[in-house]
Amino acid sequence: MSYSIPSSGALETARPPSALTEALRHSVRSPRVVIGGTIVIAMVICAVFAPQIAPNDPANQDLLNMLLPPMWAEGGSADYPFGTDSLGRCILSQMIYGARVALFVGFVAAIGATLLGTSLALFAGYFGGWIDRAISHLVDLWMSLPPVVLSVTLMVGFGTGVGNVILAIVLVDWTRFCRVVRSEVMVVARKDFVAAAKLLGFGHLRIILREILPSVTPLIITLFTLQVGIGIIVEAILSFVGLSVPADVPAWGQMIAQARNYMYQAPWGIVLPVLAMIVTVLGFNLLGEGLRVALDPRLRRRSI
Amino acid sequence: MFQSLINVAAKRLAGAVPTVLLLSMVVFFVLRALPADPLALLLPPNATPADAEVVRKALGLDRSIVVQYLIWLRDALSGDLGNSIAYREPVTRLLANSLPATLELSFIGLAFALLISIPGGLLLYGTRGTIIENILDVLVVCMLSIPSFLWAIFLLLGFGVMLGWLPFSGRVDPGIVIPDGTGFLLIDYIVALQWGYWQNALSHLVLPAMALALGFSPLVIRVLRSSLLEASEDHYVTVARQRGLNERQIILSHMLRNSALPTITLIGAQFGFLFGGTLLVETIFSYPGIGNLMVQAVRNHDLPLIQGIALVFCITTLAINTLVDILYVVLNPKLRRA
Repeated sequence: MSYSIPSSGALETARPPSALTEALRHSVRSPRVVIGGTIVIAMVICAVFAPQIAPNDPANQDLLNMLLPPMWAEGGSADYPFGTDSLGRCILSQMIYGARVALFVGFVAAIGATLLGTSLALFAGYFGGWIDRAISHLVDLWMSLPPVVLSVTLMVGFGTGVGNVILAIVLVDWTRFCRVVRSEVMVVARKDFVAAAKLLGFGHLRIILREILPSVTPLIITLFTLQVGIGIIVEAILSFVGLSVPADVPAWGQMIAQARNYMYQAPWGIVLPVLAMIVTVLGFNLLGEGLRVALDPRLRRRSI
Repeated sequence: MFQSLINVAAKRLAGAVPTVLLLSMVVFFVLRALPADPLALLLPPNATPADAEVVRKALGLDRSIVVQYLIWLRDALSGDLGNSIAYREPVTRLLANSLPATLELSFIGLAFALLISIPGGLLLYGTRGTIIENILDVLVVCMLSIPSFLWAIFLLLGFGVMLGWLPFSGRVDPGIVIPDGTGFLLIDYIVALQWGYWQNALSHLVLPAMALALGFSPLVIRVLRSSLLEASEDHYVTVARQRGLNERQIILSHMLRNSALPTITLIGAQFGFLFGGTLLVETIFSYPGIGNLMVQAVRNHDLPLIQGIALVFCITTLAINTLVDILYVVLNPKLRRA
């Protein structure tokens, strides 16, 4: 780190300068990225502008209009486009507000899992030896517990709440990043430009951050996108078990769990939040899959 | 071959022991971080602090956490996982009653998953490079976005409630006697020669097992497709083509067998994913397995039971991984000779 070599810019220009623009060009042309991206942006807008978009206050209980069907069904009301739940709360408004919890947990947990998993992967893949063996053993150990069981157990220990849900997801899912990124780092670490950087006397940290990290960034972006979808599912599972947000906060998993008790009389109450969740996760999956191809020059060539 | 099988099994078992120990520590210490006092659940509301102290001593809760763990470990090794707080029964008895149900469900689920993914993977491979492949691929991404508990809700509503084709609650119809035996109903009813009951038990398994299978199969389809694509570039395929075998023969009698290995590896590594899915799927179908028991235990804050079930999930997953490793050796001639 103490060396400061003025000619480091020369190394940067040695890389193909058009990689980013190239990737962007391919992303925009991929139908998956476009459709997935549109869904994701629409959901983010729902979450951010929930108070403006939602037709009703999601907590407001209209006890005269309980278990109302959607407006297109017989007996539906235009005041409640998707009907009401067992307490007379507007289902559409709850779904819109539910996007807040889902996306907040999904994004923050994915950032956490990416940071933890990637940093350990960079150390393991770059240094190798006992560091690599220790980290890989930890990953194997962690992965031998079924992920759902591990996250439920962690939540029982931590107690309920959004912060703890995020912590549990990070602690369960960092292994996914670590395993995949590590093997990619090991490949990159053997490349000539890394050897050149070592010969120039750059410090380890600088090589990891400036030489290796940019090469694995496309992979990390893809994994991150897929992880947001996984986080949304895990949050819903924990809500369903009653381990996530308090009962008065609208969340999709919670809506599903509550509507389950009335699903014979009012199946739309469970189907609609389930669909909201599937569409959102599908958006992230399409985006991730599309980016995987668009950001990887090797896959790009094969798909054309 | 037999010798190498024993070697693999011994090696895996030796590796599994420290893993189980470490995971038991993780589970034990994580659950001790619980903000609630376990005593509050045990004591009547009018207990005095002196009563609390007596119970605390009796349970060993006044000792250090490491000592508590060692006591728990000693008991666990002698087959005592403590008593469930909510059910007031030994945890091991509750587990013995419900683990076979979950294993039966998981195995049938796995069988369904293979019935879906082998044709699925072949179809994706067969249509490679066409527009149909693109459509199927998007379908697979859609399947990937639907976890098994959401499939469970759809299947229950569609085939159970609306169409009324299949039962969706419990293991058998109420009133049917569950026999003493292995706990695997599909085996027990055959042994007892009770065909009607056997069919009843199977019909109860269809929907929950299908939910697990639909959540799991997109993973298998993808691995099978990519290993088929890889195999299609191998020499033996070229040679078989030059020998004049038709494409169907090559795929079915050569490529599928070679693609089985990576697929089996994935199933072994991801079995925990399918197995963990039983938590919500069993709850949704009121199926009396350990997944359902775990959700009940969590809702009741039943620490000894949660701990015991988590441990059983972990040990079972490890055991399945070991079995898969052995299967891998059986199927892979290269490893067999080594």
